[in-house]
Amino acid sequence: MGGKKIKKDKRQKREDYRAAMRKDDISELPRKKFYRQRAHANPFSDHQLIYPPHPDQMDWSSLYPHYVVDEPQDQPTPPAPETPSSEQHDLAPLRPKRISKEVEVADIGCGFGGLLIALAPTMPEALILGLEIRVSVTHFVEDRIKALRAQNHEAGLYRNVGVLRANTMKFLPNFFRKAQLAKVFICFPDPHFKARKHKQRIVSATLNSEYAYVVRPGGIVYTITDVPDLHEWMVQHFDAHPSFERVSEEEQEADPCVAIMRTETEEGKKVERHKGQKHVALFRRLEDPAW
Amino acid sequence: MVLPYHLIKVCGNTVFAAQGSDIHSFNSGLEYVSTWKYPVQQTDESNGPSIDAQESPAQEEPPTKRRKVEPGQEEGPKGRRAKYKNGQSKGNKPAKHDVPGNERPFVQGLYATTDGRHLVAVTGSDKTIWVFEHDGVGNLNQLSQRAMPKRPCSLTLTHDNLTILSADKFGDVYALPLLPSPIPTTTTTSATPGAATPSALSPPTSGPDESRSASATPSTATPSAIKPQATALTVHTKRNLRALEHQKISLGRRALQEQPNRPQFELTLLLGHVSMLTAITVGTTTTATASTEAGGTRVREYIVTADRDEHIRVSRGMPQAHVIERFCLGHEDFVSRLCMAPGGRAEVLISGGGDDDLFVWDWVRGELLGRAGVLEHVKGVVGGEAASKVAVTRVFACGWEGGVEVFVVVERVPALFRYELLEDNTLHHRETIPTPGNPLDVEGIEVPGAAPRLLVAVYPSGSTDGSSNSSFIVLDKGESGWRQTSVENLPAGGDIAISETELQKMLYSTETLRKLSDFD
Repeated sequence: MGGKKIKKDKRQKREDYRAAMRKDDISELPRKKFYRQRAHANPFSDHQLIYPPHPDQMDWSSLYPHYVVDEPQDQPTPPAPETPSSEQHDLAPLRPKRISKEVEVADIGCGFGGLLIALAPTMPEALILGLEIRVSVTHFVEDRIKALRAQNHEAGLYRNVGVLRANTMKFLPNFFRKAQLAKVFICFPDPHFKARKHKQRIVSATLNSEYAYVVRPGGIVYTITDVPDLHEWMVQHFDAHPSFERVSEEEQEADPCVAIMRTETEEGKKVERHKGQKHVALFRRLEDPAW
Repeated sequence: MVLPYHLIKVCGNTVFAAQGSDIHSFNSGLEYVSTWKYPVQQTDESNGPSIDAQESPAQEEPPTKRRKVEPGQEEGPKGRRAKYKNGQSKGNKPAKHDVPGNERPFVQGLYATTDGRHLVAVTGSDKTIWVFEHDGVGNLNQLSQRAMPKRPCSLTLTHDNLTILSADKFGDVYALPLLPSPIPTTTTTSATPGAATPSALSPPTSGPDESRSASATPSTATPSAIKPQATALTVHTKRNLRALEHQKISLGRRALQEQPNRPQFELTLLLGHVSMLTAITVGTTTTATASTEAGGTRVREYIVTADRDEHIRVSRGMPQAHVIERFCLGHEDFVSRLCMAPGGRAEVLISGGGDDDLFVWDWVRGELLGRAGVLEHVKGVVGGEAASKVAVTRVFACGWEGGVEVFVVVERVPALFRYELLEDNTLHHRETIPTPGNPLDVEGIEVPGAAPRLLVAVYPSGSTDGSSNSSFIVLDKGESGWRQTSVENLPAGGDIAISETELQKMLYSTETLRKLSDFD
């Protein structure tokens, strides 16, 4: 009885807080406690997700408003306004506003966005996208980016990061064209300990083919985990996949992204606190064999 | 009640038709030839299931006619529960599908090699792929019976007729040889069913089976290696630590019970979607090469797969099936059928599903060529208010007078829709052909110089207006429309105890692919 009431108050507080954060002039960083959500989501279920049917129909302009291209209105508007209606199906649906760049870096399962925020100033030329399946966590990152942009308005920082709610295991090719990405980060993924749940792991031989599809030859997939068996699993599956090769340790340690991945992700910090181990592995996308 | 015919496959000069779990054959004059019956174990039901049922699957004796089919055994909930139970292995209960005998799963798919010498069938709840040798005149000789790790949803054969590609409910595509080579059971299999271990996805550069199974994860390869993957370093809360302790104890016990029921035949994981697969087909491209061998052309094979999450994926054929060439994206609801255009239009693919339209693709370039409405014509049959959505269940294309005719079946709509694929690859609705009941399948026999002869399996509407109540009808194009004849002298049988509702659930399962929009 009492518990229920408390719960309701909590929820109410949460909603109030988040509604306040949505207001335009807020530049205060969001507080995590109002955005918590249970750590797991079933990637097989039909969440109410929003995704474009085709990458060309993805509207990036709201995520990266500073990169929107002002297209002159007199562009190719169809000459005849009275085109034959209804029966003829429109093959080219409304094209969303274009942006001057394409997303090149993706953080799959970005969580509360620590990596995104740390990466953003280090690669100001690249558009970085975080993808997260949990709704309220996504909202947190949205509010965090919004606040950071407002705080760093003068310097123009954090304009190159965005976040989306998405189930990447199903819908990666809906967002990205073939070979669009240069870097993909998979940081501290859900380990799915039970053998029965291994199919839900974010790295698998069949899913690796999809990463190979969106990553350009020469591009890198970054993985880090504190679970030794999961590390082994990821190495095994990327190694076995003909489209990837493991990046040597020297090269790995020389990559500035690796240091950031180790220290700046929320999970990374947590593992640090608990004095756990962090296992890193990088994989390079190879050219497809002759066919 | 008597089951309707629900699948038709033309194989050389012979027509095969499935009725429940039986497959009947007819000659080119549509006279009945013979029947293959799903082998049923003679179990005494009071004795419970017998264990060694796998031993004699190929008995010729017709089984007892009346079989209680468990409600819902073919469809979702039950199957799902069985899987769940199996995976969890709580207690010592045998897994549902391991209990053989007292059920006869429906034939879910019929496929034929291009030379007509082999017929491949899939049965539902037992997830089994059957391969038959066909003598050319309608007699089947069962060659093999292979139970897949997950239920196959759609099959296809590679162009060399040597390999079956099976697309399953869990989103994986497996390759298995049409004719299994006898291999010792110890070296078998690359795949364990539980996780459909993607580690089996074989690098084309690697050797045969050994290397693949060697790459299996420790936990699945050797039962003795089962240990919790979490450690005190990776879980931190008090509760999780306690759970870990419990897990360690129970794992030791469970490891002994858990018998990995891996299939005992050659099976290669080629590719996978994280979504239920609904259709698979192969396409080929022919390109000129500099060399003069093989007539200066090079044929490449591609695997095209469609899923419930609106995707159509084009992957390279074996042995490079891990390379995704492109996607054909544009559907906004599930895709349920794929159909390659015949007659030198190898690059054209027609797809249908839960969208209001059929889509026409250039799958080689990944481009949408056009769309053709279905819903608007369905409204013409069932009335505007009754139809708000469609579920395409069949798309059948055949050549006719140099053009391409496409016949479409929509679930629970008593008509065939004829479209024409024009030279410019646009698809146009030409006519709606009413049928005496809802069509369940359509095939055609191309008649040189004439309109194709259509073979249609229908679920008779049971009307008493004098129209035929046969489940197997033939449509011939006459001068004044389509002349309809029903195939007479159908063999007796297919009479089982099943309620109308259960039967409909089994026959009309496509609409269930649609996503519900009211949960998050």
